[in-house]
Amino acid sequence: MNMNISAGFGSGDTPRAGHRTTQLPSQTGQPPPSRGRDAEAEHLIDLITRASRGHEDAFAELYDLTSARIYGLIVRVLRSAEHSAEVTQEVYVEIWRQSARYDSSKGSVLAWMTTMAHRRAVDRVRSVTSETARDEKYALRTVDRDVDQVWDGVEQTLDVERVRKGMGSLTAIQREALTLAYFGGYTQSQVAQLLKLPLGTVKTRIRDGLIGLRDALGVEA
Amino acid sequence: MSEIHGAVGSYVANALDPDERREFEKHLAVCPTCSREVAEFSETAAELSSLVQAPPPPMLRSAVLSSIQQVRPLPPLPEDGPEAEPRRAAGMARTEPDGSSAPVDELALRRQRRTARVLSLAVAAAMVVALAMGGWVVNLVQQRQTQAAEAALETQLLSAPDAKVYASKMPDGTPVSFVVSKSMSKAMFVGADMPDPGGDQLYKLWMVPPGAGAQPVGDNTFSGGGSRKVWMQSGIADAAGLAVSVEKDANTPQPTTTPVVVPI
Repeated sequence: MNMNISAGFGSGDTPRAGHRTTQLPSQTGQPPPSRGRDAEAEHLIDLITRASRGHEDAFAELYDLTSARIYGLIVRVLRSAEHSAEVTQEVYVEIWRQSARYDSSKGSVLAWMTTMAHRRAVDRVRSVTSETARDEKYALRTVDRDVDQVWDGVEQTLDVERVRKGMGSLTAIQREALTLAYFGGYTQSQVAQLLKLPLGTVKTRIRDGLIGLRDALGVEA
Repeated sequence: MSEIHGAVGSYVANALDPDERREFEKHLAVCPTCSREVAEFSETAAELSSLVQAPPPPMLRSAVLSSIQQVRPLPPLPEDGPEAEPRRAAGMARTEPDGSSAPVDELALRRQRRTARVLSLAVAAAMVVALAMGGWVVNLVQQRQTQAAEAALETQLLSAPDAKVYASKMPDGTPVSFVVSKSMSKAMFVGADMPDPGGDQLYKLWMVPPGAGAQPVGDNTFSGGGSRKVWMQSGIADAAGLAVSVEKDANTPQPTTTPVVVPI
């Protein structure tokens, strides 16, 4: 995802040319990022920009292209179809409302949307949890299975394969800490309790996990 | 590496508790290294979502597309604003400039409905939508049939600089809200999924003048059985409170049952 390509997109009032001129500057020593992913990222910027001007059809397409990820993430964190549909709807309404405030120089549309969705899902988990204390024993029992479920039984697309490999490159403890925090919706203190590790260790493992994954995926911010 | 810097991963994974988060955000505002890492990790975390993709229920699409019709996209942030909030800069659009929380969800509402609460304008638009829906399955037809003029007026109300949302609940627990602009002297009652009060009864809206009893206001009775938005278009500027009650007689000059009152 090379954001430089799209950084100047702000003036996108002109209709898109028939083909895109996304010539990448040659990057020495690095394989060029896949053209498909860049084009996809750029297309999402186009859609969110049009949505910010009130184009509902663009927003509908944005929904179609991203809803499986956004809904999937929310379900994964919340584990409740009912809550997830509700939160997903709130997230998309918020994306629509905030669409003009997306800034492509700060990151991809998908990261922007995912951040919002994840945050909202975690907020919901915590507001629910504070009322009906979560069963930590259950959580512990299912840690391993969770990690496996994230690994297996997912659609075998190239994208997924890349991320799976990236996760596979982490140490078990990094992967576990990251999975519990990101997909489990636990705070770092809760993760520390669950894994019976000092908080400082957990903090470092989560960060190291993200560093390892970032490097494995070659993500450019 | 300072210890606070080490929390960057947990920050992106939303694994900080509120105190830790506040502390980290203070640091983030002055640490370019952390800002950069937050941006990079946000991209990385977004990739993780590919592992858990799941098709949403088909109804959700129409619910989303229907609800955005009633929400106006916010204008862009002023360019080069030195105050550009660090969180939003990092792609974390969530809180409003005034620091209020993001649109209140149903659960939060349920927790808070005991006391009428003032919410900022920033959350009003999304809340009205959420309230009118009473969950994610929207009454699509009803929403689509909202008169254009009414929608425009609604937008006007929601964009009034002094617009506020007062949330409360009916005795049976049904959440209700009043969106109020004293400068426009208008208010809108919003009820999600109002139950039928039964026995030929109606809901009736009231205005409470300072130091006096409730008075009927506007086109002020409506039946239950769905989501309701009802305008209150006069005398709101001087009102001390608004109220809703269940009545048998639509023309009663005073409430005959205990009304739900919100001070405004």
